[in-house]
Amino acid sequence: MTSSQRDNALEIRGVSVAFGKNLALDDVSLAVEPGERLAVIGTSGAGKSTLFRAITRDVGVSGEIRFGDRRIHTLSKRELREVRGSVGKIHQAYNLVPQLPAGVNAALGDVVNMGKLRTLHTFLAGPNTALAKTVEAAMERVGLAGMSSAKTSNLSGGQQQRVAVARLLVQRPGLILADEPFAAVDPVTTERVFDALLELNKDGASLLISLHDVELAKRFPRVVALKEGSVVYDGSPEHLTNEKLNDIYDGDMEARPKGKEPEEPGPDNFSGPDITRLKGQDGISAH
Amino acid sequence: MASPPTKYEGRIGGAVPRFSWGSSLAILIVVGLAGWSYYGTEFDIVDLLTNTEPATRFVSEMFPPDFSTATLQATGQGVLETFHMSFLGALIGAVVAFPLAALGTRGVDTVGASRTERVLRVVPYHVARFILNVFRSVPDILWALVFVVALGLGPFPGTLALAVHSAGVLGKLYSETLEAVPSRPVEALASTGADGFQSFLFGMLPQGMSNFTSLTLYMWECNIRSATILGFVGAGGIGQQILISMNLFDYSKVATLVGATVVVVLVVDRFSAAVRKRITD
Ligand SMILES: Nc1ncnc2c1ncn2[C@@H]1O[C@H](COP(=O)(O)OP(=O)(O)OP(=O)(O)O)[C@@H](O)[C@H]1O
Ligand SMILES: [Mg+2]
Repeated sequence: MTSSQRDNALEIRGVSVAFGKNLALDDVSLAVEPGERLAVIGTSGAGKSTLFRAITRDVGVSGEIRFGDRRIHTLSKRELREVRGSVGKIHQAYNLVPQLPAGVNAALGDVVNMGKLRTLHTFLAGPNTALAKTVEAAMERVGLAGMSSAKTSNLSGGQQQRVAVARLLVQRPGLILADEPFAAVDPVTTERVFDALLELNKDGASLLISLHDVELAKRFPRVVALKEGSVVYDGSPEHLTNEKLNDIYDGDMEARPKGKEPEEPGPDNFSGPDITRLKGQDGISAH
Repeated sequence: MASPPTKYEGRIGGAVPRFSWGSSLAILIVVGLAGWSYYGTEFDIVDLLTNTEPATRFVSEMFPPDFSTATLQATGQGVLETFHMSFLGALIGAVVAFPLAALGTRGVDTVGASRTERVLRVVPYHVARFILNVFRSVPDILWALVFVVALGLGPFPGTLALAVHSAGVLGKLYSETLEAVPSRPVEALASTGADGFQSFLFGMLPQGMSNFTSLTLYMWECNIRSATILGFVGAGGIGQQILISMNLFDYSKVATLVGATVVVVLVVDRFSAAVRKRITD
């Protein structure tokens, strides 16, 4: 990232999102420097997904979100598409088109650069040579070499999540929003996806990732905690004491930080990626 | 609807609703309508069971069916014409329905769209829906009458009638399919920067494709049934032959024609059902 470096600064100022009477985000302010990486934690329903959706204007907000010098919620449609093209998203439920070949799903990372003609060409005949090369390289990076023409729905969940990462690699976004990317994948895939995301971050992309696994979140230099729509912690993980964690997670017994109560049996002590909580895969809150 | 808590009677009841004024009224209305229609249609079960002479004569004169070369030739021709009409009707219908369905489907991404943008988007939507409604709500036999008056007798006006009606039905079913497609992948595309056209092409279309195909095949099934009666108003197909033979009291020829129709309808039904099953599995 060179000249566009400053364009990737994200600033969220006094943002609130209401669904009817329910305030999903309540006066949230957050500044993310270009190239920074931070983890967002919080109970189910705290507003993590809503925050990510607000950044790409998938929901309306009050307050202001700036990406570089552009105010997201006042952009024209065309400008918004440009911004979205430089924001990469990855979700817990893959969100690929199941009927398309895996390689086409990955190639769609470049969708914002396709004119009408190239769009049609890609639709009918697949990505052109240059894009196909990029896609193949990306698929190889995530360990799916030679799988580009496989039908996406035939891939396993973990493989699909890696296709989603390949799409990011094709897109080369300046900002990555990863919403519980490990909620439905195995530990090996988690590490793999994690590495790929860190590598993109090293190349200059800012990385915002929402996590249910506090131990994993502590591997980030900055942790932001949401509770009932408000930021209740923003800082380095060292200062994230047990009391603070208990406060963040109180009222949601399911989601207590893992490894903190060794006396408690059951899946909560599982210290790997949290595959026990697939909540939200069915409901509105999965975004 | 805050009704006062009713006294618990210690019974839960089965799946059939228990007595209520609402349900008794509904039953009364159904019985009333049935009686009224009974008189309105001069429905006479006694007549049907006692006055059997014309029916038996009709049936007995149908047998043995006429298997003469001329009749077989006419039957083959009629069957083939019916087949052609139904197939082309469904195909043209699908081609016309598709763009109208695409326009008549609500898009996903309207957050932050300005008022004018929304209005601009709503106009083609309502125009497309309106056209589809007109196409669909006029039955194909009426369309056939219209086209026969405009273009003269023959299979061409019949095919057009089927095409127009099919376009209306398919257009509605297509756009319902598009609206029911899982929205997450489409939203994911939009938030990667895809425009409406790209989201449609890569998000909605692939997810709706197998349904489109099976709906179109189903339309063809329906068309082959319709095509057999369009001949009654002079719009081609085997119906025309059936009508002529009826008027000539040539019941054994009618038997052959009707038998052939049943066979063709069954064959197309089976074929289309088998293909549809393969597609959706
Ligand atoms: N489209 C919507 N309509 C109505 N309410 C919504 C919608 N999306 C989210 N909400 C509500 O907003 C609140 C925050 O939801 P959000 O999905 O942001 O939580 P989350 O932190 O991502 O939770 P999870 O960890 O379960 O994914 C919840 O109360 C949720 O019910
Ligand atoms: Mg969420």
